[in-house]
Amino acid sequence: MVLSSMRNVVFGYGNEPVIDNLSLDIHTGQFIGITGPNGAAKTTLLKLMLGLLRPWSGTISLNKELEDNGKLVIGYVPQQVSSFNAGFPSKVIELVRSGCYSRLGLFRRFTAEQEQIVERSLKQVDMWEFRNRKIGELSGGQKQRICIARALAQQPQVLVLDEPTTGMDLASRTGFYQLMRHYVSQHGRTVIMVTHGLEETNSYLDSVISLERKENEGWKCLVTNSCSVHFGPEG
Amino acid sequence: MFSYEFMQRAFWAGGLIGIIGPLLGVYLMLRRQVLMADTLSHVSLAGVALGSVLHLNPALSGFAVAVIGGIVIEQLRRSYRTYSELPVAIIMTSGLALAVVLMSLKQNLSKSFSSYLFGSIVAVSNIQLLIIAIVAAIGLAFFIVLRRPLYNLTFDEETASISGVRVGLLSFSFAVLTGMTVAAAMPVVGVLLVSALIVLPASIALRVASGFTAAILISIGVGLIGVFSGLTASYYINTPPGGTISLILLTFLLISIAVQKLIRLKNRRNIHKPI
Repeated sequence: MVLSSMRNVVFGYGNEPVIDNLSLDIHTGQFIGITGPNGAAKTTLLKLMLGLLRPWSGTISLNKELEDNGKLVIGYVPQQVSSFNAGFPSKVIELVRSGCYSRLGLFRRFTAEQEQIVERSLKQVDMWEFRNRKIGELSGGQKQRICIARALAQQPQVLVLDEPTTGMDLASRTGFYQLMRHYVSQHGRTVIMVTHGLEETNSYLDSVISLERKENEGWKCLVTNSCSVHFGPEG
Repeated sequence: MFSYEFMQRAFWAGGLIGIIGPLLGVYLMLRRQVLMADTLSHVSLAGVALGSVLHLNPALSGFAVAVIGGIVIEQLRRSYRTYSELPVAIIMTSGLALAVVLMSLKQNLSKSFSSYLFGSIVAVSNIQLLIIAIVAAIGLAFFIVLRRPLYNLTFDEETASISGVRVGLLSFSFAVLTGMTVAAAMPVVGVLLVSALIVLPASIALRVASGFTAAILISIGVGLIGVFSGLTASYYINTPPGGTISLILLTFLLISIAVQKLIRLKNRRNIHKPI
């Protein structure tokens, strides 16, 4: 099933388009990697998909059939969360619990099941023992892991991660890729991840969207496996 | 002291502002909008001056202009994301310039304006106390009902937006509430020191709190102690309430920094102690 469709999307910064006439279908139940060199518009592509940026022209749509209680739950882990730099006064557990807020709404109380989800999310990223620490006291890799735990606590249908393993050691990275693979294979979720280390992640991924710069042609989007993508007018 | 009606009013007004100001301050600091309180107080002063020139109630006109100022700043902040402090600086100077010019048109009101600049216990009228009570009630309801989306918004706007928080609407309501709180706090602490009551308790709380809820409770506690002790001191030693409250809060901040340094020093010594 198609999760997200982009049709003839053009977007840029200033006067120069960085994504030019892109059409792309993302399918559900896949672990998808987006790769490319610095400045290849990987994060821009993610933000367009998520609706954080509006395209200059073209259309981007998410499949309404996937909505759960009228809402498609997307967990997002950005490349950099600026609040960490300012010493956001929050304990690890407080932050991860906030992942449940979108499902709980304004007033519903935390149930025992939700508490278990929070605990499981923290254990899955090996951060349970740090639950009462202030987030400002954590290392870069640990901060990244609790952001992932927060996204997992949302129980999202789609998990969107922008270079999520930055600052993690090899063992943590491997554990993380295995966790995402399990999340896709066993729970039928969709994971879209921007990554630089394709050689490390390739064996876990179902599809790869590769943004590359071609001489005299500008940025081109190449794709392997089952994502359908092309530049140029649709049809 | 409490036999005087104006002191009762000052304590009520101070107590309510001492709750809502520091509570708002935590969010303003974490959203990197500390200057907004200062800016809106200057804009609000222009509103007071405008009200006097146009023969309107200065308290109400100051209030309305501060709210409009909050909305304009929020709109500009969204438009100039990279230079978000730029519109704040422009509006602050514009507000003050407008206030000075309008005040010069009404020479006979300079005494009343000085009470707005520095705060005055007697300046809190019944209508101002009513405005403060309404603002405090709205503010408390806002922060209690919307505490979950506000937490997510304050932590990171992008992830909040994706998780379903209506970021634009919530940010605008927050800006309106900031304008209302600043305008309501003006008679108690004065234009020049309004941000002290909003920012100083929050900066103490963010230094010492272990969690988000703790930061909010500490900020409110410090704010209330600062306001009540400041009002009492200003009554007995006949000093301007705004300045007295600010100095007391500043002393609290210095004490909290010193205590933290001492604790850190002690911990370091314990670690390096020879066995």
